[in-house]
Amino acid sequence: MSTITYAEVNDDVLSTMVRPRPAYFLLLLGFVVALMVGAVSFAIQVDVGLGLSGISHPIGWGVYVTNFVFWIGIGHAGTLISAVFFLTRAPWRAPIYRAAEGMTVFAVMTAGLFPIIHLGRPWYAYWLIPYPNERMLWVNFKSPLLWDVFAVSTYLTISITFFIVGLVPDIAAARDSSKGLRKMIYSMLAMGWNNSFQQWLHYARAYLLLAALATPLVFSVHSIVSWDFAMSMIPGWHTTIFAPYFVAGAIFSGLAMVLTIVIPMRIVFGMEKYITDHVLQSMAKVILFTSIIVGYAYVSEFFIAYYSGVPFERGQFYFRAFGDEALLPFTDVPTFGFAQYAFWIMVFCNVISPLPLWRWKIRNNLLALFFISILINIGMWFERFNIIVNSLQREFNPANWGNYVPTVVEVGITLGSFGFFFTLFMLFLRSMPGMAIAEMKEGLEPPRKNPAGEL
Amino acid sequence: MERELRRRDFFKVLAAGGASAAAAAGCSDVPEKLIPLLVPPDNIDYVPGNPIDYATTCAECPAGCGMIMRTREGRAIKAEGNPDHPINRGNLCIRGQSSLQTLYNPARIPSAMLREGEEWREAEWDAAEHAAAERLRAVSDPSRIVLMTNRADGTRGQLLDQWLSALGASPKVVLDPLGQHAIKQANRRMFGRPEIPQYRIDRATFLLNFGSDFLETWLSPVRQNRQFAQMHAANDEERTRGRFVHVGPHLSLSGANADDWLPVRPGSETVVALAIARQTVHRNGRRVPPGDRARVEAFLRPFTLARAAEEAGVAEERLQALADEFARAEQSLALGGGTSLAHEAASDAHAAVSLLNFVAGNVGETVQFGAMQQIDSSSPFAEVLDAVRRMRSGEVDVLIVDGANPLYHLPPATGVEEALGRVGTIVSLSSAWDETTHRAHILLPGLTAYERWGDAFPQRGVFALRQPVMAPVFPVKAPEDTLISLGKALGLAGFEDGTAFRDYLMEAWREIQLETGSREPFEEFWRQSLQNGGVFRQVAFSSIVRLRPDALNRPLAQPSLEGNGLLLLPTPSLRHRSGEGSVNPWLQEIPDPLSQVVWDSWADINPETAKAHGISHGDQMVVRSPEGEVTVSAYYHYGVHRDVIAVPLGQGHSGAGRTADGRGVNIVSLLPAKTDADSGDFAFLSTRVTIERGEGRSFVVQLDGSPRQMGRGIIKTITPEQFAKGEKPADGHHAGGGEHPRRIDFYPERGDTPGYYEPYRWGMTIDVDRCTGCSACVAACYAENNVPVVGKERVALGREMSWLRIERFLEGEGDSYKTLMQPMLCQHCENAGCEPVCPVYATYHTPEGLNAQVYNRCVGTRYCANNCVYKVRRFNWFEYEYDSPLHLQLNPDVTVRSKGIMEKCTFCVQRIHRARYSANGQGRDIREGEVTPACVQTCPTSAIAFGNLADPNSAVARRALRGEHDEDKRVRQYEVLAETANKPGITYLRKVMDLIDGHPGEEA
Repeated sequence: MSTITYAEVNDDVLSTMVRPRPAYFLLLLGFVVALMVGAVSFAIQVDVGLGLSGISHPIGWGVYVTNFVFWIGIGHAGTLISAVFFLTRAPWRAPIYRAAEGMTVFAVMTAGLFPIIHLGRPWYAYWLIPYPNERMLWVNFKSPLLWDVFAVSTYLTISITFFIVGLVPDIAAARDSSKGLRKMIYSMLAMGWNNSFQQWLHYARAYLLLAALATPLVFSVHSIVSWDFAMSMIPGWHTTIFAPYFVAGAIFSGLAMVLTIVIPMRIVFGMEKYITDHVLQSMAKVILFTSIIVGYAYVSEFFIAYYSGVPFERGQFYFRAFGDEALLPFTDVPTFGFAQYAFWIMVFCNVISPLPLWRWKIRNNLLALFFISILINIGMWFERFNIIVNSLQREFNPANWGNYVPTVVEVGITLGSFGFFFTLFMLFLRSMPGMAIAEMKEGLEPPRKNPAGEL
Repeated sequence: MERELRRRDFFKVLAAGGASAAAAAGCSDVPEKLIPLLVPPDNIDYVPGNPIDYATTCAECPAGCGMIMRTREGRAIKAEGNPDHPINRGNLCIRGQSSLQTLYNPARIPSAMLREGEEWREAEWDAAEHAAAERLRAVSDPSRIVLMTNRADGTRGQLLDQWLSALGASPKVVLDPLGQHAIKQANRRMFGRPEIPQYRIDRATFLLNFGSDFLETWLSPVRQNRQFAQMHAANDEERTRGRFVHVGPHLSLSGANADDWLPVRPGSETVVALAIARQTVHRNGRRVPPGDRARVEAFLRPFTLARAAEEAGVAEERLQALADEFARAEQSLALGGGTSLAHEAASDAHAAVSLLNFVAGNVGETVQFGAMQQIDSSSPFAEVLDAVRRMRSGEVDVLIVDGANPLYHLPPATGVEEALGRVGTIVSLSSAWDETTHRAHILLPGLTAYERWGDAFPQRGVFALRQPVMAPVFPVKAPEDTLISLGKALGLAGFEDGTAFRDYLMEAWREIQLETGSREPFEEFWRQSLQNGGVFRQVAFSSIVRLRPDALNRPLAQPSLEGNGLLLLPTPSLRHRSGEGSVNPWLQEIPDPLSQVVWDSWADINPETAKAHGISHGDQMVVRSPEGEVTVSAYYHYGVHRDVIAVPLGQGHSGAGRTADGRGVNIVSLLPAKTDADSGDFAFLSTRVTIERGEGRSFVVQLDGSPRQMGRGIIKTITPEQFAKGEKPADGHHAGGGEHPRRIDFYPERGDTPGYYEPYRWGMTIDVDRCTGCSACVAACYAENNVPVVGKERVALGREMSWLRIERFLEGEGDSYKTLMQPMLCQHCENAGCEPVCPVYATYHTPEGLNAQVYNRCVGTRYCANNCVYKVRRFNWFEYEYDSPLHLQLNPDVTVRSKGIMEKCTFCVQRIHRARYSANGQGRDIREGEVTPACVQTCPTSAIAFGNLADPNSAVARRALRGEHDEDKRVRQYEVLAETANKPGITYLRKVMDLIDGHPGEEA
């Protein structure tokens, strides 16, 4: 990066904000339409009832909770990259951390919709918040769902704060290069940033503190989300491995999503200078590492189920992989269905498909990386589906086993969630600096004084 | 009918409801008097919010069970058994519980109607009645008038006879396809007693059942369930238990409760019974009167075990073992019945069973004559067929149909369709639309049995009354009153003054008073009879019965069932009987306990037979007989002979309303019009069918998640040997364990926490050995707790709302398989999984041990349902609606739940509250027995008991044995999934059952 000048950084990054092409609007329109599909689906579901989803007895949680965990997982990479890698001084984070942070905020916002969407009476969602009321009603602090409320809202607050604080110097840069209304808005958002030494001192200290504050959250939020399951009694849910397993999975899926977003950014905006092969290589290595952790967790789950000797656990994990045994007299062959496809998709995408990343060539191949990142996104969605839905399908009492297939409304709402996320992200790219200008400059060779007397 | 009850209607209904208590209201004239609530009427004890009970008699089948109809604000809301009634002693079956939906059937005809071409036009009642009278008057020869009804019990039969003879018409035709004339005929032949004897199952120690479905529809199922439990269920004090062996080609619910099953070839029951009789005489001849000994022995000589075993297609050793067991039994009883004996030689088969009972010395002991059971008022089927023949040949001008549904119940082979077309005028008095009413010309719809007067005499000494329990749901008239007023219009002798049927009934009861020997003034006798539901006297039955001298002169014939293809066995349905129950949403939605199928028909087929035909479970299967073909779902059932397919009766309606129409098939349509030669009973087992795989898979909905419990010990068993020795079964470590998990808990007991379980900890015990799977409790729960019916498509997704269900598991394979059944409901756990996970405290543990669900507070996360290991919580996926007027049945004490919230069994908390109010009023605690949840109340076998576990002297506490020092005494006691440490409030008692391969409740 040594050949890049500060001015170039400014121009390149800010250029993403001023010159949208028609393709941008077309893409945005597509995401908005997806969002509307989701909104309409949800409205119909509220009107008619949750029966429009495929959720039933005994599968009380389906695609909605799967989506919740999936998006929360996505929302982990941002903070990991911006806070954890900041503290561990991984310099390759600089060009991607803004996008990753934006992704985090939007992913957590998207995730936050699902606990409301999946409620039987979403209009009473505020009852989960402990507020003083004349009816003397309080919430149940024993319930992991309530922990979720706190964990997710805390995480969202910190993420947004961190995001906004990181943005301040860059918004100031945007302010300086814009005119009219835009200038006014950016001026307000820049909060009087004037690039003074004093400000940088405070800024660096605040950023460090926030990073330190955010770091435990990276691990706690998904741990708590995993306790929604681990604290229950369902075979396949009730296990101590869940917290690290979920955190590793979250980082895995989050980094994959960052790749999914950053690779097109690099191509479309021509950011090869900043989002270098080294950056992508480093990401791929972390992905490979987390993939191995996740794969280990899968194996360990099966081993524990076998080793425990508990028929419920054994039955659950046998079902996940191989389906039902022959249930005489009705069937004398094992059945293999949607649930088992979900399991094997998960294994292939999360354990097998990242293996080529061991090779330097693959890590350096944009197309391969992008393809693998998409596979991992799919695989991680199915991992959550596999944990949540498959466990509920075959639990303690065989008289109540059931099967689950998502319905149109659920697919619509899921589509809507992607629409929501990408609409926000597209608007962000258009209105905020998509890369951390200030931090990238830190990585550059400082400019020398020149005759023109510029900085 | 509008959905909402308007204020004015409310008062009308109220006034009439009250008036019927005072025995003042006829059925047709709704009193217009308004009763202001500020000044309650002084002749009735009406307090708003307090229920008023009326005693009446169930009319869902001919058994004549006593019923208490609970009404609130003038609406009937719950049917319960009459505890004083000697037949059912306070219990009802699944159909009796659902009688409310007969009353509130949405397919009821709301007013008189006249046909104009293909259209129906509502008519003024008087005009329609006038039209009917005109048609009757116009008939040249009164014998060209036929009256066909479905029930003619008690005084009603008398009225019909009198009316028809005054008119000069042909005798009444009573159509019930499940008539029992073959038993009467067999007993006439053997003993000269043409009656259905009283079977004392409770006195037997060994029960041998030839095909009868005595726990479902046959004779008096509630009583038989009770007696069967007395006989068969484990007696924990004496450690004894009766034995029950089923002989027949098919296992229905009754057969599934048997300890052993002999799958004999259909039609061979006669020979098998005679061979067992021969062996019994051989082993234990002293029970045969010496005078009869020689001819009985001579008669039985040809029937060797070897011959019977060959004809029946079973191993001789098994038959020998069975015969020896029967002969050795302290007190045996052989039952014969059901459709597998209803062939062309049905009377002879029943005669063989009667002879078997005779040689075993059971007559007078477990088979009592002289009870004069009138639980079958039907005409022999041959008479019905004769009436149809007359209609077909144009010999009938007017057909009056009252409740009968010949177009549905008669096989098309009888030509009933054509016959109805040849009748000049059909006048229907039926209360609801069905196949036949659609073919009528004049509709004078009747009231249901619960809105009109009547009586029934199910056996000697039992005089049961029927009274209107509420004002008519629709302004129509009792059929009896319609006939009386038609009689008046026609000027029939005896009907000139048009006395209401109620007065006619009272006249008849003056004679009953004489018969009962009551000396009170008649008014007092009448009032008391109404209050008690009738008059019940203990009568000793004269049971001196001798074998008729000519009884054995003629050999007993066997039916000829040879031919190609499989034998078709239509079976009476526990839920729909022969078709009456299928209009009833509860009965459609509650699964058949054995097949777990809802809203549909299915064909039980042996897996081996099916595989030979290339048919898989759930495939569409085309069944063809010479008379027609139907397409029905194939259901793999080990409990059916390889040469037989069994299809339940009762579905396949068209024109009987939205509940019944288009559900499954009417299997009667495949049957030829054959009858039993001697008795004229309908021959159900009379045709062979060919089967082949139909197109694709059927949409048959089965509620069992898995037919197998995979060694998880959900339903546990104990072997007869262990039970006899009082030995605790050694459970595997993970399949429940004898170890009660409370011993390993870190936390203090809930009961040791201040504020809890003082003075009550409500709990339940369920004796799986007593449970026959009759599902009456399920229907009772639906009725009591406003549990909505969701329909087939939603049940298919697992969205049924039942708070209580019968779980069914199979153990073993092939002919020796066993069925386990167990009621499953909210276990009201001490350490419930559902409670801590609710973020808003919508579910919590009350100080009385109930797992409460606060509907108002629930936001619908469904976490509680996920975390319930018993899976007994139900979520309201939609806002459920009730077809008018079904909504009138809703229990005002129980919230109707809205969409998006969770619900489940509450142990009928409304009943606990009601008991508490009255106890508090008297300044005391609730006493044992004061609270009876709906399921407990109706259970005919007393399998379920409810009470206060905190009181060590309560029946449940003594049965549950949950005390510190009771561990060793817990021979049969277990808690389902105890290893999950939920500490359920329900203790189950193991079923006593032979091992199959390994212990059914254990890890394999």
